[in-house]
Amino acid sequence: MPTITIDDRPIDVPVGATVLDAARQLGIEIPTLCFLEGYKPSTSCQVCVVKLLDNGRVVPACGTPVADGMRVASETPEVHRLRRTALELLLSDHVGDCVAPCVFACPAHMDVPHMLRQIGAEDLQSAIATIKEDIALPAILGRVCPKPCEKGCRRQAADGPVEVCDLKRFVADRDLASRDPYLPPCRPASGRRVAVVGAGPTGLAAAFHLRREGHAVTVFEAREAAGGRLRLEFSEEELPRKTLDAEVGVIFRLGVELRAGTRVGVQLPFAALTAEFDAVLVACGAVDKPAVGAWGLAVGSRGIETRAGTYETNRKGVFAAGNAVRGKALVVRSVADGKEAAAAISQFLAGRLITPVQRPFSSRMGKVQPGELPELLAGTADLPRRDGASYAVDAVSAHEAADQSHRCLACGCQAHGSCRLERYAAQYGADPGRYQEGRRAFVVVNRGGSVQYEPGKCINCELCIRIAAESQEGLGLTFVGRGFDVRVGVPFHGTMDQALGPLAAKCIAACPTGALYLSPARELVTLQTPAVRR
Amino acid sequence: MPDLDLTFVDRTVDEVGGGPEAVIPILQRLQEHYHYLPDEALRRVCALTKITPASIAGVSSFYTQFRHRPVGRHLIQVCVGTACHVKGAELVRDAIAKELHLKSGQDTDDDGMFTLQGVACLGCCTLAPVVQIDDLTYGHLTPRMIHDVLRDFLDHQNGTPRKAAAQHRAPARFEGEIRVGLGSCCVAQGSGKVRDALDRVLADSGAAATAKRVGCVGMCHQTPLVEVVPLQGPSNLYARVQAEDVESIVLRHFKPRGVWKRMSYSTRRWLDRLLTDEQAVEPAVQHAINPREGPVCSFLGPQKHLSTEYCGQVDPTNLDEYLKYDGFAALRRCLEQNQPQAIVDEIQNSGLRGRGGAGFPTGIKWQKVRAVAGDTKYLVCNGDEGDPGAFMDRMILESFPYRVIEGMALAALAIGAREGFLYIRAEYPLAVRRVREALQICHERGYLGANIFGSEFSLELSVREGAGAFVCGEETALLASMEGRRGMPHLRPPYPAECGLWEKPTLINNVETYALVPWILRHGAAAFAAYGTEKSKGTKVFALAGKIARGGLIEVPMGITIYQVVDEIGGGVAGGRKFKAVQIGGPSGGCVPAELGHTRIDYEALAQVGAIMGSGGLVVLDDTDCMVDIARYFLRFTQDQSCGKCTFCRVGTRRMLDILDRICAGRGQQGDLELLEQLSRDVCAGSLCGLGKTAPNPVLSTLRYFRDEYEAHLQGRCPAGKCKDLVAYKINERCIGCTLCAQNCPVNAIPMTPYARHKIDLDTCTRCDTCRQVCPEQAVYVE
Repeated sequence: MPTITIDDRPIDVPVGATVLDAARQLGIEIPTLCFLEGYKPSTSCQVCVVKLLDNGRVVPACGTPVADGMRVASETPEVHRLRRTALELLLSDHVGDCVAPCVFACPAHMDVPHMLRQIGAEDLQSAIATIKEDIALPAILGRVCPKPCEKGCRRQAADGPVEVCDLKRFVADRDLASRDPYLPPCRPASGRRVAVVGAGPTGLAAAFHLRREGHAVTVFEAREAAGGRLRLEFSEEELPRKTLDAEVGVIFRLGVELRAGTRVGVQLPFAALTAEFDAVLVACGAVDKPAVGAWGLAVGSRGIETRAGTYETNRKGVFAAGNAVRGKALVVRSVADGKEAAAAISQFLAGRLITPVQRPFSSRMGKVQPGELPELLAGTADLPRRDGASYAVDAVSAHEAADQSHRCLACGCQAHGSCRLERYAAQYGADPGRYQEGRRAFVVVNRGGSVQYEPGKCINCELCIRIAAESQEGLGLTFVGRGFDVRVGVPFHGTMDQALGPLAAKCIAACPTGALYLSPARELVTLQTPAVRR
Repeated sequence: MPDLDLTFVDRTVDEVGGGPEAVIPILQRLQEHYHYLPDEALRRVCALTKITPASIAGVSSFYTQFRHRPVGRHLIQVCVGTACHVKGAELVRDAIAKELHLKSGQDTDDDGMFTLQGVACLGCCTLAPVVQIDDLTYGHLTPRMIHDVLRDFLDHQNGTPRKAAAQHRAPARFEGEIRVGLGSCCVAQGSGKVRDALDRVLADSGAAATAKRVGCVGMCHQTPLVEVVPLQGPSNLYARVQAEDVESIVLRHFKPRGVWKRMSYSTRRWLDRLLTDEQAVEPAVQHAINPREGPVCSFLGPQKHLSTEYCGQVDPTNLDEYLKYDGFAALRRCLEQNQPQAIVDEIQNSGLRGRGGAGFPTGIKWQKVRAVAGDTKYLVCNGDEGDPGAFMDRMILESFPYRVIEGMALAALAIGAREGFLYIRAEYPLAVRRVREALQICHERGYLGANIFGSEFSLELSVREGAGAFVCGEETALLASMEGRRGMPHLRPPYPAECGLWEKPTLINNVETYALVPWILRHGAAAFAAYGTEKSKGTKVFALAGKIARGGLIEVPMGITIYQVVDEIGGGVAGGRKFKAVQIGGPSGGCVPAELGHTRIDYEALAQVGAIMGSGGLVVLDDTDCMVDIARYFLRFTQDQSCGKCTFCRVGTRRMLDILDRICAGRGQQGDLELLEQLSRDVCAGSLCGLGKTAPNPVLSTLRYFRDEYEAHLQGRCPAGKCKDLVAYKINERCIGCTLCAQNCPVNAIPMTPYARHKIDLDTCTRCDTCRQVCPEQAVYVE
């Protein structure tokens, strides 16, 4: 049995094994995209490169047979840089959004397309759960939010954005009007106690998310009722107090304790909080700087200073978020801050290192070209916005809301979360924009058929071509063209369905990205996917 | 469209066969017949053969040769090889597109008369820029000539078919022979017409001489070249001969035969002259050149002809002539001795290294294939010479087909192969024709086939035509192509020596490598190794082109310096410009600056300065050549020729080109050079095959030696005045108002102002350079 070393770790492997096999035995994860167990390595993606130390050659691990005495470098900065370059090159030619632009446009990063799909299926129960994953106060935001999500909507370039915010409000209003509004499940009690200073949008949202994590939460509010600036900045017409009270009430129904009329620093010394609670979140809105300074917190020009992305102040166990930090921000930003601060505090309470809030990796399609609109609009509802028409619960039916949600272009990727290109790009810190220069047009092949193909997301791994060739029933697939323009194509202008025949599911399962997928309309049909081990 | 007659498809399949490997030959025949590949015909092929729809769709879209749409009646191919590029091929192409009123993206004119396309390299580098219309080649073109060229072509088409040359029978009394070089590029320069004229003059005059076509002489800058070799006395060489000069040349050396014929001939000529008022000129004298002194001597002096032995002396396909000059002597002796290992040893001792570019020791390769057990082994001659700016393989195949065949036979004997193939670019029709002819003659006369010279040794050789894919010069891609697949390389190991054609051990060598083998075995390893340097033995053939006074095909001993090649052999840079750099090795090579001209031609020495030996393209650049543009030119080529398999090459070369494009367009950004350099290194490291691994070389070498030019582009200047977006054409006070520029401007960017200084409208100007060329006062300048 040949012995080789990878990163100075020796291993015996059978004759005929590859460097990739050896690395896997050692528990070294070498990324692969075009490789599929059971198939001859195509060695095309070159993401699995390693360096052979004896001759300096850089080779794909998946297709390089081991030789006795071989010395391989895998987890070195040089090899990682090459893998990153391969990923960045693939991303530079990748047409698609891992995550829809509206999700990024929303400060709270709510999964808008998911919510719209649920509304589209008239499943409002699921929709409210989706919303409350990220937004604790949707009915309120549905009235006071300037809707940044709609500015991110691709449909804006055609006939106006999807009415995301109104649809969300509709779902939240329906929920509040129901007999028992949605209460998210909470984790078992953690035994930890958190004090939240201020019951404005930030404090309320934080309390909501901290409670879900199983912590005991006490909110200290100077005024007699919770709501903070929501009660000051918006008129009754803009934000009916009935709605405000109802939605805030849900949070306290989760078991959050409110101590109204308690101004911290006046009725209750700040030191009492830090002594009594495991963590303190200052969310009191724009701060009185000297007062906060007296609490021992560093203050900057806008407000309390925190570490970027972790909401930690200079005092251990004391966090700050919302306008207490920012001075002035949108309500939705405050709600987002509350969620993110809660996540940071939970990590702190669990004794873990706090990971700063990071924008998740995402490939971006960028600006839509006018010629691409028909392709993007295909398969969506050809319906104008309700613009101005009321979304009040009694003015719109679930069916009408569903129709409106069908205007969504479903910009995010079907493979988001399972895509290996996305995963490795995030892991290797790939910058999708480094080599980008122009891009291909967005195209969906075989719309209307059962299997759709997006050439813009294809990395030419050849797996679908090889799998399709296993059956004589289908027409088969082939690479068409040469060089940069190579794409997977069906001979004689056939359809994808004709090409793949009975092997469609196997091909889709093998696709390392979201280039090949079942048409959304057929998604509900459960497919028997053969087990494919990567 | 009327129903297509598909019986041709059935016939073709009958003739070619129906296995998966037949796909390329079938497609080639269909395209020749239908001028494109009609869908119905392809479906019919799938129905009749084992070729799958996926295979036919994949293969037919991979190779440049195949077209899926009908083309115009005539095909105009603009060579975009290196030499043509530096001599303005792009301007020529633009001019043709304009002449044909082609809109952007359109390749066929509205009348369906002409289809315009670029072609990687026609291998006529010394005639640059070159355009081929159907089978007629036009060289040394400028945008201004396009109108006339197209008219000339159409006249040629409409005119009565050229009168067949009078049959000239060998004279009874033989006083000597007249040799005419008939390589493809000589023919393009008119040597075919010279040959016709020669036949006619000899027949009419009855002069006691025979006309003989010979292969390439190498002195492309002097073509058409005629050599008169009398039985007694020294031979005489005539350069740049035109058909009308032939008569005086012939009559200068040979007398018309017989009193009656002599009289009638001179009377007729006398009458002709009287009627046409033709002056009795002696053109022969003005074309005569002396090979023993002067420029021809400098050109030939430092050369050593091994693979091109007897160049200009032998008829390429005449086997008897080849035999006369020791042809097949080495094979005969080796067969008699029957010691295959001794052949391998001899080659190993000679130090011969692969002439295809990488320089792998040939003997070691032979030894490897020989050592592999197995009854079936193949050998392949890689004649897919696709480097723009290189044409030595074409010349060797056209001029010395028997030498290549003998080299292959010796290799086959050494490694134990009984079947071999010559994979030749389809863009080299003359080479294909001559090799096929030579193979047939060898088979007929027992130099190939079963039991050669009565020995146990049998060998079958045949030709496979490439279909237009540079990447097929890579050996694993070449094999894929021969097996009827898309020419995509695979990871080595396994090497073809172990697992090659149809998974059998396969020896692949370049044309020139095989051509050197007979010489080595005749003269011995030591004689070969006496030439060259420590690690690079023997000679190397180069195609010397670009901005050089005497371009041509040269064979020089290794170890000669770049200066010697450029200055002594090439006569320095043409037109009194400054020697700036020499591009060696084509798209995989690099630019060596003039300061490093003392570098020796040697595998290691060239690699050290950032170039490679490559297959032998040597393009000389002067101070009007922009190095950023040169780098971009090569990258555009490799990018276009990438098979598209691996990420680094498919996307990486494209992104490098994007960066170069924006630098040339004046849109370069801070950090672009660093980004380009790093990406270049990553593409070198990460690409799967040699094409990608070497594609960044032209960029890296120019970044290394000419970084200041890149930086100037970032600041919006092109020092050489080449990059269209960064230069402006202007007219200075020397203008005399002759209006020539205004008359010739193809886009009317110069208002006609007689007797006053002209002015160029820069918004309309396309930077075609015509005004600068026509200005008699040199008043047009580039800024």
